[in-house]
Amino acid sequence: MKRITYIHAVLISALTVCFYSCKKDYGNLNGPTIEQFSGNASESQLDNLLSGTLSGMRNNLAYYLDDVGSIGREGYRFSGSEPRYVTDLLGAGTTTLTNSNFYITDPWAARYRVVKNCNLLIEAATNSTLISDAEKNGYVGFARTIKAYQLLLNLNLTYSNGIRVDVADPNHLGPFVGYDDGLTAIAALLDSAKTDLSNASVVFPLPGFEAFGDAAGLSQVNRALAARVAIYRKQWSQALTAIGESFFDLTKNFYFGVNHVFSTGAGDQLNPMFIPQNQTGEIRVAHPSYAAEIEAGDDRIGKATLRSSVASLTGLSSDRDVWVYTSSTALLPIIRNEELILIYAEASIQSADLADGVKAINVIRSGHNLPPYSRAMTKDTLITEVLNQRRYSLFFEGHRWIDMRRYDKLGYLPLDRPNDHVWVEFPIPVGEN
Amino acid sequence: MLFPCLLLAQAKTITGRITDPRDNPVPNVSVVVKNTYRGTVSDVDGKFKLDVPANSTIIISHGGFKSQIMQADSLSANSLIRLEEDFTKMEEVVVTGLATSVKRRNLANAVGTISSKELNSVAPAQTFDAALNGKIPGAYINANSGAPGGGISVKLRGVTSVFGNTQPLYVLDGVFMDNSFTSAGLNTVTKARRGGSITSNQDNPSGRIADLRAEDIENIEILKGPSAAAIYGSRASGGVIIITTKRGKPGRTNITVSQDLGQVSVGRLLGVREFTAERAASLSSDSAASEALRQQFLAAQAAGEIYDYEKEVYGNKGFARNTVISMNGGGEKTNFYFSVAQKDEGGIIKGTGYRNTSLRFNIDHRINDNIKIGISSNYINSSSDRGLTGNDNTGTSIGIALSSTPGFAQLHPDKFGNYPANPFAGSNPLQTIALMTNNEAVNRFATGLDLEANLQKSSRSITKFIGRGGFDFYNLETTALFPSNLQFQVVDKGTSILGTTRNLNTNFILSLVNNFAASGDLSFTTSAGITSETGDYNNLINVATHVISGQLNVDQAGALNATQFRAKFLNDGFFVQEEASIHDAVTLTGGVRFDRSSNNGDAGKYYAYPKAGLSVNLTRLALIKGSLFDNMKVRAAYGQATNVPAYGSKFTTLVISNIAGNPGALVNTQKGDPSIKPERQAELEAGVDFSLLKSRLGLEFTYYIKKIFDFLMRAQLPSSSGFSSQWVNAGDLRNRGIEIGLNARPVASNTIIWNASVNFWLNRSLVTRYILTPVPLGSLVFASPQIEQGKSATQIVGLNGAGAGVLGDTDPKFQMNTYHEITFKNKLSLSFLLHWKKGGDNGNLTNWQNDFGQTSVDFDKVTNKLGVPDGVYRQMQVGSSAAIFVQDASYLRLREIGLYYTFDKLSFISFIKKIRVGVSLNNYFTITKYKSYDPEVSNFGTGFATGDDIDPYPASKRATFHIAIDF
Repeated sequence: MKRITYIHAVLISALTVCFYSCKKDYGNLNGPTIEQFSGNASESQLDNLLSGTLSGMRNNLAYYLDDVGSIGREGYRFSGSEPRYVTDLLGAGTTTLTNSNFYITDPWAARYRVVKNCNLLIEAATNSTLISDAEKNGYVGFARTIKAYQLLLNLNLTYSNGIRVDVADPNHLGPFVGYDDGLTAIAALLDSAKTDLSNASVVFPLPGFEAFGDAAGLSQVNRALAARVAIYRKQWSQALTAIGESFFDLTKNFYFGVNHVFSTGAGDQLNPMFIPQNQTGEIRVAHPSYAAEIEAGDDRIGKATLRSSVASLTGLSSDRDVWVYTSSTALLPIIRNEELILIYAEASIQSADLADGVKAINVIRSGHNLPPYSRAMTKDTLITEVLNQRRYSLFFEGHRWIDMRRYDKLGYLPLDRPNDHVWVEFPIPVGEN
Repeated sequence: MLFPCLLLAQAKTITGRITDPRDNPVPNVSVVVKNTYRGTVSDVDGKFKLDVPANSTIIISHGGFKSQIMQADSLSANSLIRLEEDFTKMEEVVVTGLATSVKRRNLANAVGTISSKELNSVAPAQTFDAALNGKIPGAYINANSGAPGGGISVKLRGVTSVFGNTQPLYVLDGVFMDNSFTSAGLNTVTKARRGGSITSNQDNPSGRIADLRAEDIENIEILKGPSAAAIYGSRASGGVIIITTKRGKPGRTNITVSQDLGQVSVGRLLGVREFTAERAASLSSDSAASEALRQQFLAAQAAGEIYDYEKEVYGNKGFARNTVISMNGGGEKTNFYFSVAQKDEGGIIKGTGYRNTSLRFNIDHRINDNIKIGISSNYINSSSDRGLTGNDNTGTSIGIALSSTPGFAQLHPDKFGNYPANPFAGSNPLQTIALMTNNEAVNRFATGLDLEANLQKSSRSITKFIGRGGFDFYNLETTALFPSNLQFQVVDKGTSILGTTRNLNTNFILSLVNNFAASGDLSFTTSAGITSETGDYNNLINVATHVISGQLNVDQAGALNATQFRAKFLNDGFFVQEEASIHDAVTLTGGVRFDRSSNNGDAGKYYAYPKAGLSVNLTRLALIKGSLFDNMKVRAAYGQATNVPAYGSKFTTLVISNIAGNPGALVNTQKGDPSIKPERQAELEAGVDFSLLKSRLGLEFTYYIKKIFDFLMRAQLPSSSGFSSQWVNAGDLRNRGIEIGLNARPVASNTIIWNASVNFWLNRSLVTRYILTPVPLGSLVFASPQIEQGKSATQIVGLNGAGAGVLGDTDPKFQMNTYHEITFKNKLSLSFLLHWKKGGDNGNLTNWQNDFGQTSVDFDKVTNKLGVPDGVYRQMQVGSSAAIFVQDASYLRLREIGLYYTFDKLSFISFIKKIRVGVSLNNYFTITKYKSYDPEVSNFGTGFATGDDIDPYPASKRATFHIAIDF
């Protein structure tokens, strides 16, 4: 037995030698971690977060615009590989909008991802000891403005189903709030950002915001968005106040405003809404009513160009391509002067200031090669005119469906197949409850 | 030598000659004095010489033959000992520890083995991974794509993980081989997964284990679950596949030259819709467009230009050749095996194919009586052209484009070679095939080293040092080229995706093993040691767009985007194992391995993986007497193993997202969990094995229950948190199953020998605990897996017309295979393998894509209650019922059949020993009701999801002629 004891002793001592204990932890090799930003961020780190925010705002934007554009019957998205654009979104037969499908889950998640980045930027800027208070206000004011805008886009989709406003702590998310409360919260967020920007120094690059690259400029953008929120809330006088503080200008170019920009640069994106004309397979075509109902001479027919051949899919047809985004690096507006003019018109009319309303409408009409407004000077007729101008001026920029819903006119949208439906809102995406 | 030998009375010297049943000498047979470690091996001529004590018993044993026990005194000088074939494989030596092995008759687990004959000698498959299919009882195997170059998902004993690794660990001659599936970045073009990522699990890459050469393999052992594989620790959760390659044998140098010539053709086509002017017109609802379509059809009809594009695209006949030259030989001290091989095969789509060149050199050398060393080295160069198939969202994949292209479309090039744009889809598949490239090229070098040294030796005890280790290095280059003149490149104006992957895996085991014969009937094997495994993976993908016409280099482009992913790990630990054998009939095994991993939340924490086993051979204990059973064993084993979390799952990171030249950081959609733990499995298996009728019939029955604790889920987070997912240890699941194996030799006469085996296996899973809200992992509209407490882990849920419910299950009800080998006069042999899978549903979207594109062959049939065309009717189900997508994928497949004749008395050419000629068919006949190209499909990769079918590269069948000459 002695031998066994000996042998086992050898084995055990060999084992003991084997405790060559140096544990390895390689860290993350593929990018920075959140902790590296939230601690004490440098100015260049804050700029990285800010650029990431601007960049991320473009993610899945095409789904948002196709959602709003399809349901608002601005056009169809035909895809050989993806039928849900023409089944679910148009409410074909017994199909419904499903909470697990890409058309709601993807844009919703992309917007909240930017919200998260904004919250991280706010946290990083607040914790940073390497920047001045004014610079801090600049970052925070920007982050809050963008956050409000992103929340608004999601609320536009889910409408009365609402959104979460308080999402700072991923483990303890705030409650869902309904449409009205959601808009109230978004307006409050914009207001607090305005306060931040009133005492701020903007030292960061803002691609797409070229004319608004300082604190005053950002504040004008903030107010433009506030004006949009105000008309959604039917707060007409607040809308006019906000318009006054924005970059609204009856004499300026309609396209004056802030945009998403695209480039072929490394890690950058191309405009996801760009599809060349006369394609087959993957195409975006204008709803036939766009050309059918446009006034003679309106230059906005150029946004829906004639195709060399008719495109059809599952009982739907169109002979016009959507031609709003004409290159892979074309700008995609966030908000621009033409919308502000129309907000001004709408808020004026709703405030019984019909003359100012008509004046603004005529700026739009003459800008698009149309004679001045000549129909009844009644509020209802004028509002119909505003909605019609918005339809053509803001074609495929994400407005028609929301406008018709605001005025309870979804029933007026055309149905192209016997069993199609117009949806009022998207369900809350799966996994939220 | 560290310890002096005990001096024993040398009472007698015995000599003998050992032969097989046909009187051929058998070298390397072990001749040992019972209850001691005194012994020798037979030489090239089968002769041996051994000094034995008086009245001793000797045991003569060799793999493939039954052991013989004889009294030394009964042996006269040079007696002839004829071994009997071990048909039921009870004498086979099976590896059970990292450095130890036992004979199958004493084994506590059901370890599957595949011999080189079964693996590769009936009807060889294109790649090693495909050759495994149908041969492993307990496995569920699917092809990710039928594309040349392999890519197989192997799941042993049910799903072992949901979002973690489900694939087994492959160990080749002691080297832990990498089996990564590295995407070529095709998602850039197909956008199969939305959201702008360059890669997705739908890119159908091949798995790196496909690189191995089946011809070099001597045998494969399959440790199906933790009860057998626990000693492999943290990477053994999916089971372990231990591959042993051929080694040299002493004696005359054998040279074998073999040549295969064959043809690869499509297994099955679906057919296309027959158009009429009316049907063509119905493709559009617009009256003008509809009329144009009608005219287009009539014009095509008049010109005789109506095509079957499916046949044209998938109808290529690939030529296949395979040449192998191998050599083995050696002497007393050094043995070697050398092989060089090349195969080159065309695919069923033009421009696709597979080429593999390999060199292997195995050498074993005995430095002295106490130290031996083995080196196995392998260089592989492979290249596969895989085409562009499977899911997409851009109409670019060949199958998706075909699905909406009617036969009257004109896709052929004009006389200048220019292809017209396909007005019915986003791409012209003929153009895509002609112009695109999707190539994976691998250079791989793997070397294993095996050192055994006797540290101590006496008649009752041997202590050895065993060191094993090696490395596996490869460089994978993926090239995906889409020139600017392709129809779908109008925006990107030419895309060139170049991926470079370097991977280095290393591992070693240093162990001490002691064999001790305590008394006549009791012996112990003790082993202990340290282990270490490292991995270093670096994948860089460059995506160039706006490529200068005709250029391949990514710098010849207007825009360039790079993506890099790195992963590194170190797993290290130590183990002890004790085996006790009583009467050579009762074997008790216990062991434990401690392992830590840099991928765990706490990289310094050791996790313990215990195992224990008991086998009792009732016949050897003489508990069962009589002539009926000549071997009967009951056994039980228990063990634990884990799956370490994926690299990086503990970090919350930011990803690069630039704008207008400004570098941007955007939070990743995956949230990290700093406290993440490995998922742990515990398996208990029990069984009974017996052989009867003089070992002409053997039966193995196994029951197992495998529990997986803390399985890893990439849990969906509420996306309003800014994250979409997070790794969490989300619950427990359980697999239970039965495996029954039957080996028989129904006929054994001088003229005919018939060997047969039948296997039956089934598995049932159940989620026993789940802390998350059950949500579909995919879309309810198209049916999806869903993890839910109290339900099968592999259930498929979807819309069912009245909300959502269970529509099916991907796990088969059972599977069976049967292998037969009939040899006539030892010259003519017929072998075949039949595989039956009963049940198990696939998510078939291929058929529906054809309906959606209005080209399915049965589109116009009317068999539904509404009286509309079936294609229309099926379309109407979408959105309210997903039942049409969930289809029973049962099949009966004649996987392999081969007929061979051997000429072995070639007196006229003295230097040729024998010539073997044969013909074989691989995957030639399949009976199934499943409505797509192949029921054995899994287009969404090797993860949890199985059976997704969406316009894959169709499966191929192969017919091959073989000739092999032995010199």
